[in-house]
Amino acid sequence: MNRLKINNNGGYLEEADENLSLVVEDASKFLNVQTVKIKISGDTDLVIECEDIKDVKFDICINVLNGVHANIYEFKNKGKYKFQYKYYLESDSYLNIEKVINADRIHEMTIINLNGERAKIDYNLKSISKNKEKYNFLVYHNASKTVSNIINNGVNIFDGEMEFNVSSFVPNGIRKCDVNQSARIINMTDNTCTIKPNLFIDEEDVVANHSALIGTFSFDEIFYLESRGINKKEAESLLTKGFLTKGINYHKEAIKEIINQYWG
Amino acid sequence: MNSLKIENLTVEVEGKVILKDFNLEIKSGEIHAIMGPNGTGKSTLTKVIMGDANYKIIKGKIYYNGEVINKMKVDERARLGIFLGMQMPIAIEGVTNADFLRSAVRAKEGDNFKLLPFVKKIDELTNKLHMSSDMINRGVNDGFSGGERKKNEILQMYLLKPTIILLDEIDSGLDVDSLRIVGESVMDYYNEEKPAILLVTHYQRLLDYIKPDFIHIMSGGNIALSGDKSLALEIEKKGYDKVMEEDGHE
Repeated sequence: MNRLKINNNGGYLEEADENLSLVVEDASKFLNVQTVKIKISGDTDLVIECEDIKDVKFDICINVLNGVHANIYEFKNKGKYKFQYKYYLESDSYLNIEKVINADRIHEMTIINLNGERAKIDYNLKSISKNKEKYNFLVYHNASKTVSNIINNGVNIFDGEMEFNVSSFVPNGIRKCDVNQSARIINMTDNTCTIKPNLFIDEEDVVANHSALIGTFSFDEIFYLESRGINKKEAESLLTKGFLTKGINYHKEAIKEIINQYWG
Repeated sequence: MNSLKIENLTVEVEGKVILKDFNLEIKSGEIHAIMGPNGTGKSTLTKVIMGDANYKIIKGKIYYNGEVINKMKVDERARLGIFLGMQMPIAIEGVTNADFLRSAVRAKEGDNFKLLPFVKKIDELTNKLHMSSDMINRGVNDGFSGGERKKNEILQMYLLKPTIILLDEIDSGLDVDSLRIVGESVMDYYNEEKPAILLVTHYQRLLDYIKPDFIHIMSGGNIALSGDKSLALEIEKKGYDKVMEEDGHE
């Protein structure tokens, strides 16, 4: 298991195997931007842990080479984040990303380039938003038979204002792609949350789906739990835990701790 | 001795009156079966007793052991000892049965909750109800068949040890074997704990297992006719319209 720590001083590999290489450099001292370049050349897992970052912007480029299967488990805790991600997937590669966020404020741009045939990405983001959080995605299907599954789930509390903008592109001639977007925000405030799902498909031979839902937990779910003696606060805590841990394998315990922090 | 008394209860949903001046009292050790055509207010009755906010009480009172519970929250009613076994229990993705059941039992038992007896009880009940042992780690009713959902309701009933049990069409969607298991399990609980049971059903077949002391036929939001188990057999043979007509109802 590879372990990358990112903090105000930059990024460093705490544990590493031979399937992963890392370069960290100052992209712009003036703008306070750091670049982290990761090349994944063999099947492996990578844990990324970001803690309390404040005045540094990060550019993270991740290259997954031909035929490589990799999992990235990322956790951002506290701090104010401005991150840009660029993923490049070559032919027959597969990248599974699980991202758990408990930030004070965040603005992310994620660019996914599916450059090789049959490249596939599963992207699963879970966040508890307490302030402004904005996530922009550009997903480029640059080769045939590529697959993208972008799932964004958030729970909006306190002063949270959450926004997911996801745009997927399939140009003409890039055939048999599978393009999926799903976003859901549980908004437990009166603040505005936004989901903008965009599918720019210029090819007929494509399967494309999107779903977007902003709302609270359903009355029926709450009623069912309450009818078993569970009070409303505990019911919401249970539902939040279920909502945020679904599809997450690595940082499940971290999510449970965060939920205990806010729901007691 | 526990009792549930419903007095002159009138209930509406979205401006439409569903229950009208409804009266009923059930006590520990009694089994009441409510039957009747669709849309006569049978399920409404169980949900109103449980405190479903979709149903507005226009007038009348619901008493639990002499105390009016009209304004009591749903979870408070449940902790008091009222249990509603639902007709179509909802599936909740992501929330495991284990987390859900532990929270429910902990809410009831408070500081007396102990994990080991809880786990043992779950094992015992999944065996009794012929449920797959992996159901405990699956989402609440998530991917469960109709029969598994009903068995899960009965499992919860056993864990929460209610004194007033409302069973809303607990027989719907059950094959003959599951119906027997569910019916016999309800009766086993009845024989052990002597709760008051109010069950809603369309079919006499459930009453082969759960033996009611009273049968009530609902019509127009009220009880139109009451009798013993022979009434259910008569309905099975003649139908609601004929039985009601013979009793002098229009």
